[in-house]
Amino acid sequence: MSLIQLNNVGKIYPLGSQQVIALADIDLEIGAGEFTVFAGPSGSGKTTLLNLIGCLDRPTSGSIRIDGRETGGRTAREMADFRLHHIGFIFQSYNLVPVLTAAENAEFTLMLQKIPKAARRRRVEELFAALGLAGLEDRRPNDLSGGQQQRVAIARAMAADPRVILADEPTANLDSQTSEELLRLMRRLNEEQGTTFIFSSHDPQVIHLARRVIRLKDGRLESDHRQSPKTAA
Amino acid sequence: MDLLSLAWKNLWRNRRRTLITLSALGLSLFLLQTFHNLSFGVYAQMVDSGVRAGSGHIALYRGDYAQSRDEELSFAEAGLSAAIAREPGVRAALPRVYLPGLAQSSRESRGILLMGIDPVAEAEVNPFWKNLPEEERITDPEGREALVGSRLLKELKLEIGNKFVVTVQHRDGELTGELLRVRGVLRTGLKEIDGSMVMVGRLRAAAMAGIPGEIHELAVILERAGDQSRLLPKLAMLTEEHPRVRALPWEVAMPNLSDAIRLDYASQKFIFAVILLIVTIGVVNTLLMAVMERIREFGVLLAIGTTPGRLRLMIWHEALLLGLLAMALGTLLGSAATWYLTARGLDLRALMPAGLEFGGVVFDPVLRAAWDVGWMLEMGLYVIGLCLLASIYPAIKAARIPPAEAMRHR
Ligand SMILES: Nc1ncnc2c1ncn2[C@@H]1O[C@H](COP(=O)(O)OP(=O)(O)OP(=O)(O)O)[C@@H](O)[C@H]1O
Ligand SMILES: [Mg+2]
Repeated sequence: MSLIQLNNVGKIYPLGSQQVIALADIDLEIGAGEFTVFAGPSGSGKTTLLNLIGCLDRPTSGSIRIDGRETGGRTAREMADFRLHHIGFIFQSYNLVPVLTAAENAEFTLMLQKIPKAARRRRVEELFAALGLAGLEDRRPNDLSGGQQQRVAIARAMAADPRVILADEPTANLDSQTSEELLRLMRRLNEEQGTTFIFSSHDPQVIHLARRVIRLKDGRLESDHRQSPKTAA
Repeated sequence: MDLLSLAWKNLWRNRRRTLITLSALGLSLFLLQTFHNLSFGVYAQMVDSGVRAGSGHIALYRGDYAQSRDEELSFAEAGLSAAIAREPGVRAALPRVYLPGLAQSSRESRGILLMGIDPVAEAEVNPFWKNLPEEERITDPEGREALVGSRLLKELKLEIGNKFVVTVQHRDGELTGELLRVRGVLRTGLKEIDGSMVMVGRLRAAAMAGIPGEIHELAVILERAGDQSRLLPKLAMLTEEHPRVRALPWEVAMPNLSDAIRLDYASQKFIFAVILLIVTIGVVNTLLMAVMERIREFGVLLAIGTTPGRLRLMIWHEALLLGLLAMALGTLLGSAATWYLTARGLDLRALMPAGLEFGGVVFDPVLRAAWDVGWMLEMGLYVIGLCLLASIYPAIKAARIPPAEAMRHR
């Protein structure tokens, strides 16, 4: 059984008197441990699809299952709890809470899960070491580079050991070298720790680094193929 | 790092805005507390001198004398004053006779109020006697020596030592005159007293009206104004043998003073309400702004698993902390000001005419505050409540935004 299963998923946004068909007829399965990119031009539906998988939004039609469990039809509170325990998120920008230090940001989901402080600190220390962030624990986001901020966001997403980490254009605000470094880091975590990543991008450089490329166009699946990614540098 | 410490950090995210809001709240609270305590002190002082010169904290009357002022409603004193004065918490009991009458000198005549008093008891507590030199005081409750209001004295063209005739109605209906001598002059600043009051010993006055040993009023002065409700029933018990004598609190016996205070305080309350309304608008604005500019961040917090309820709670914590700080700041300033105004007072002598009258009491131009701690606390809690109230809407609004939409913000 696949980790993520989408059956005939559609999403329609009302826009004034009109309707925007953001996604239509999406059938998709993504397994545990995959390293997948949603590629496609702007407006093709990447964010919408990630939001649906991540339980940030509900599909207009079709069903989404994670670990065989239907995700739709919950209250806002239940959806929040589901996200807390099963999904990690990395966003494009303004990811971190500016008044909290890097370490406090990274342990935020653990705090929400009421994990004791000592255990949180241990986990964050371990993640910061793995992500090359050691020594930056007490910095505020504003005192970190863009790449460092995104690595803190990765640490936060991974802290609670979610089933899948969703990253919507995590490199959009980074220069190409930093982008590549970040992607290689994510892939290393994928390979070494088995973390499932799904991210979106329209940057060919970044798309190259995925193992599975799902192309979207006008809200439909255009192609879906696996590739052997450029090897780690 | 729990909700409270996160809220604390968020509060200082926009340091300047928070400081401005905090000052507005703190200063309002400070003004509210200071002006209330000042009024509280001034009213207490006025009540104090009002009750001493007037009907006491508690007044004993027969029937509805308080309203009708019917001289027929007299009652036998019969040692009642002494019995009441022995009651713990009672400072003095002042028996009094009131008789409307006519004063005639060799050249003029005027309508007067003849007040019969117990000179010894009155001298201790009546503020009107304060300015009276020793040689002008009367001492004999049966004597013919009288104290005359300063204006009345002038109008009758009398001087200290002169004789004059006072005529009052005898209980049997006849008019009776009595020759009295001016011993001293009452200078109170109150028109009614200075212009028409003649004081003599109460036994003399009662004899003139043919009601020997009787009085119209027994004014009871307490050690502490707050003991009034405790002592009212006790006095009622002491007067049991006098079936138609009732004990009234000063608010009922002296409606002028209590109404004047109530009216003054009502207008002050109105100003308080306006101040609070203005700062409320400021607080609502601050909290709303602080929330609206963080919508995207709230989107991230919700996305990574913060429940809407927790987000609301975080925003309410921010408001609570703002309120607590404002309460601490305002109360600190308010206490400092109150302390100064109780110790030193506010001297208005340069700003207002001497002898201003307020509700039948001469206004002391040096205003002194008094601590009303309960009220200060209440206002502080009100400020906290105000902050919480102002944050209800922004918090609910913030927690309602679907995370996907919040993330598209900006
Ligand atoms: N809340 C919304 N209301 C109306 N239309 C929306 C909304 N969100 C997305 N859309 C529309 O749905 C379509 C897909 O949008 P989506 O954001 O998923 O695209 P994307 O592939 O992420 O684009 P980009 O690369 O620019 O981020 C677009 O046409 C967009 O205008
Ligand atoms: Mg997008």
